Amino acid sequence: MNAPIRHRTNRATLTQLKELRLLRVAVLHPDDADGRQLTQQLQRIGCQVQAFWPPVPTLPEGIDVVFLAVQPEICQLDFDWAKAENPPTCIAVVTYENPTIVDTVLRLGAKAVLPAPVRSFGLLSALVIARTLHSEIRDQARRIRKLEAKLNGARCIAEAKSILMRTHNVNELQAYDLIRDQAMSKRVTTEDIAAAIVNANEILSMGAQSRADRSGGFNEQKVV
Amino acid sequence: MARIGERDNGPIRVGVLFSETGVTSTIGHSQLQGTLLAIDEVNAAGGVDGREIVPVIRDAQSNPARYALLADLLISEEKVNVIFGCYMSSSRKAVLPVIEKWNKLLFYPTLYEGFEFSNNIIYTGAAPNQNSVQLAEFMTANFGGRVYLIGSNYIYPYESNRIMADLVSQRPGSKKLAERYVPLDAGMAHFDTIMQDIRLQRPDFIFSTVVGDSTASLYRSYAEAGFDPNAMPIASLTTSEAEISQMGWSVAAGHYTAAPYFQSIDSDSNRDCLARLRRRFGSECVPNLCWEAAYFQLHMFANAMRESGSDEIALIMPQLLGSEFEAPQGRVRIDPSNHHTCLYPRIGRAEATGQFKIVREARRPVHPDPYLVSHSLGDWTAKLPEQP
Repeated sequence: MNAPIRHRTNRATLTQLKELRLLRVAVLHPDDADGRQLTQQLQRIGCQVQAFWPPVPTLPEGIDVVFLAVQPEICQLDFDWAKAENPPTCIAVVTYENPTIVDTVLRLGAKAVLPAPVRSFGLLSALVIARTLHSEIRDQARRIRKLEAKLNGARCIAEAKSILMRTHNVNELQAYDLIRDQAMSKRVTTEDIAAAIVNANEILSMGAQSRADRSGGFNEQKVV
Repeated sequence: MARIGERDNGPIRVGVLFSETGVTSTIGHSQLQGTLLAIDEVNAAGGVDGREIVPVIRDAQSNPARYALLADLLISEEKVNVIFGCYMSSSRKAVLPVIEKWNKLLFYPTLYEGFEFSNNIIYTGAAPNQNSVQLAEFMTANFGGRVYLIGSNYIYPYESNRIMADLVSQRPGSKKLAERYVPLDAGMAHFDTIMQDIRLQRPDFIFSTVVGDSTASLYRSYAEAGFDPNAMPIASLTTSEAEISQMGWSVAAGHYTAAPYFQSIDSDSNRDCLARLRRRFGSECVPNLCWEAAYFQLHMFANAMRESGSDEIALIMPQLLGSEFEAPQGRVRIDPSNHHTCLYPRIGRAEATGQFKIVREARRPVHPDPYLVSHSLGDWTAKLPEQP
């Protein structure tokens, strides 16, 4: 006879919600009803807010989030902060929905869109989702860079091993040991040694030298 | 909406939208009484500059869809500019779009879970930073940090429980043992398995966000299970004198509630107000925190209208924001930035007399902070001074 009882265990408050009061927000919006509604609601949420209009070319230090009024007259502007190495999360405030405006929103890399007239309701959700997307995309980009570097390194080691196997008449395991010993004695990574071997091999083979010469060159280099 | 040519000294019709029937009717009825008492007082003192306040009363029957419909009719048919009403968050959320669509004003005299702001609403109940923080501080300090959460199945309990769990987790050795929900119309049978589980898990205290008539079922189930409130009390934000009168005084004795208002507040203005209420409605009424908010918000409206001369939102809102009133709980103030109210958190222990003994009391009003995500337990400014 008991109705279903929901168990909602292990809910923890997310970082993106907890960080709201630490966020430094730049509102690039005219000082009008929408601009005030926006800044006041951000203040209610507890963010630290600064507002500018027309859009400033460079943002103050340490800005985490930018709300930008994407109005027709700013579509031609260059937003250098949006292309920076570690850009702030951008949320576009839009009054128009035509392709010119949407194109600008995309160019800015906006992670959420807030329609005008601005209402207080919906702002918090847009902010949290934009922050979450922003940090996920940044983390993923970082991971992809790391994986790419790792993949390149592995490819380089394989090539270096095959050079050593050819020139030194060693098997794959021994070739790897040679690379690793060099890396340890020079205190660099195996990828660095492998890259040096591949480079050297390319340079040495430029003069169309004999295979013996090339291995000789390596032997010389390798003698410790 | 101004009707040109009509004299300014006609009556002021205001909408009054509470639930006199359905699962939250006990509180709804008391909120209606608080509103009507204040209207009587304003009118007896000559009205608002000679204009009588006339309530247009509708019963929403604890049904959110009916709240929305009646709010719309009050505005479109009865031409009211202001509505006093709503209890559960679901009822406020139903009325909010109607109020905003017509650009009218709603006074909401109920504690709720926060995270809302509307240009068209004045919130006179407690936000979580005005009741949950103080309750968590008191309960964990006096009973321990192992908590069992029970709530009605809707948004207010979900969010209140998140806040409570977050707060309690800041205590070393704390643990959230369970978080369970019952239907809004739950009877005692719904609490059977929960009581068995509580017997096994032995929490330090139980946090209840059960609302309405099912509150009595929870406390009765607890009593029937033979548990001891001195060792493992129930703590609540919603169990007021009204719920206690439903469950029976002895069943409630020993349990705790945090609220800005209790009948037992030791002040002349509170005693006088209660005496006037009893003269008006007899001894059957059960004043409580929501009754008090309903009472003082009507007076704040009347005072603001004396300044603005109009009940239209654009004219009266500037007068309301920042205004103060000597309420039964103390001097309250509407915060201009978030439209919520500065209140006095208190903690009461239910006695066998049906009254709360106030064991902690804020000396200064606490500012409302409805968008606070992470409350901190160690904040000594939130700690309430002990009552002698």
